[in-house]
Amino acid sequence: MKKLIFTTMLAASLGLAQGTMSQPAGTPAAITANDVKNVEIPKPAARLSGDPDGSLTGNASDIVVSDPKKGLTIGDALNQIGQNRIALDFMWTLVTGFLVMFMQAGFAVVETGLCRAKNANHTMMMNFMVYGAGMLAYWLIGFAIQMGGAGGVANLGGTAPLNAEWTFNLFGKPFGLFGHHAMFLTQGGGYDVGVMVLFLFQMVFMDTALTIVTGSAAERWKFAAFLVSSFIMGAITYPLFANWAWGGGWLANLGANFGLGKGYVDFAGSGVVHAVGGLTALAVAMIVGPRIGKYTREGRPNAIVGHDIVLVLTGCFILAFGWFGFNPGSTLGASGNGNLRIGAIAVNTMLAGMAGGFGAMFYMWLRYGKPDASMSGNGLLAGLVAITAPCAFVNSICAVIIGLVAGVLVCLSVEFVDRKLKVDDPVGAISVHGANGLWGVISVGLFADGKSNFGGSWNGVNGSVRGLFYGDAGQLVAQLIGVATLVGLVFTFSFCVNWIVDKVIGQRVSAKSELEGLDLPEMGQLGYPEFELKARPVAAE
Amino acid sequence: MILAGVVTTLLGFVLAVLSLAITPSAGGRLAIVLAGLALSLTGIMGVLNRAYLKNAIWRK
Repeated sequence: MKKLIFTTMLAASLGLAQGTMSQPAGTPAAITANDVKNVEIPKPAARLSGDPDGSLTGNASDIVVSDPKKGLTIGDALNQIGQNRIALDFMWTLVTGFLVMFMQAGFAVVETGLCRAKNANHTMMMNFMVYGAGMLAYWLIGFAIQMGGAGGVANLGGTAPLNAEWTFNLFGKPFGLFGHHAMFLTQGGGYDVGVMVLFLFQMVFMDTALTIVTGSAAERWKFAAFLVSSFIMGAITYPLFANWAWGGGWLANLGANFGLGKGYVDFAGSGVVHAVGGLTALAVAMIVGPRIGKYTREGRPNAIVGHDIVLVLTGCFILAFGWFGFNPGSTLGASGNGNLRIGAIAVNTMLAGMAGGFGAMFYMWLRYGKPDASMSGNGLLAGLVAITAPCAFVNSICAVIIGLVAGVLVCLSVEFVDRKLKVDDPVGAISVHGANGLWGVISVGLFADGKSNFGGSWNGVNGSVRGLFYGDAGQLVAQLIGVATLVGLVFTFSFCVNWIVDKVIGQRVSAKSELEGLDLPEMGQLGYPEFELKARPVAAE
Repeated sequence: MILAGVVTTLLGFVLAVLSLAITPSAGGRLAIVLAGLALSLTGIMGVLNRAYLKNAIWRK
């Protein structure tokens, strides 16, 4: 059967399926070595006058032959077809990875716009350097922990060296904890083209999680403490949970080992990226404490407004654009294995973002009488965060429902964090990424419709992912165990790490620096040196 | 107080994982995992955060 498919593909790619063959339609013809030898290719002279309609460019003469003396063989043609598929997947994964990298710019301007002008340089610089600090940590050890035992990624040609996962037995089953191949992209066979592509894509995801934290601790986070905290998060915190979910770790195997659906399913990282970032943001914001003036002595919150809503909404657009890399790119390929699902994934992504924006806008309009711009932006981001885990497994109606819920949830969560918890989060990162990251994980367990088919299985369990509403309660349990791990373990780990950083370095700047603005005391340069900044009393709610 | 919050939060996770061994039924596991999640949230919001609020900068 495989041979039949290969010969059909070969015939189509060599242009032999029509014209030169007399087989009845629908009956594939076996190709012989003789056919390959006799393929008609345009004469070189025909190309001398150009090829305006493209009919002469790209033909059998462009296939790389292994032995010029033998000429083109069937083996050469098959190898070329195989490499074309992997090349397509490489290109797809790299280009979508580049889009995700640009999301750093979106986060930078959103966060800077939501902070006061006197902290603009400091906020931008944190968003700028988190890229480097995270990348260094991830290259040194983070990637190895996350993906060192992931096994072969078929879309990227195998990534065979990633085969070392440290496991222990619990309840009679293997629990994968971390990988240990491809440190510095060299050790354990890490110097591999497929591994490089995977590294680039996973690295920009990791950096997205790290940059979430800079928002919640903005305007009072000591720059040195930020660097150390971010490095540890990129080296250990993020890679550990990512291994459990994506690297062949214990959460991914809840299906194979304990019969819970297809195991923990998080397609593009509502949990892995956003909830890890959002919960770490909560831990850091608690430790750093609220900004001076955020709460009255009675504990009533004051609104400290950002300095540039234009930056905020521009950043939201950049992020929405980058999300087309984040979610569709997470197939790690565009060809074969059900990867044509990328169309549905992209549409689900944009629909959920739209619904989130509307949900937040209408909530604020009804509750406060105006369609709040910054919360509308946060609603868009909340919808995108929430659809990140289920984007490949739900239909468009469910995508809109998930986004709409996220848009309202982000408003409720911001109010709860601000008023009840009294945790100061200048940009709403805890609510956008933490609360909605968890909602996205849960929504897989509710709305996955069983229509996707990525090679016939997911996490080593045959069949498609189905949620509670489509007949699989076990999937919801797997998702909730993931949520419990994020809230109970990842938060605790992040809290302990940052508590130690606080004791050793000190997380918070001095009150004098904070009141002056962090640009000069921390960075030595104002963000807006030619502007005269005037202090304005914060408005009590 | 901070230590109590950390331990409580962690216990919620432990309870959720134990659900895998306590019962094979999806409903039973669901209930235990939700209880674990509630315990963790109590640890974060009810214990840990309260410890920080006691010495919050705005109280001074």
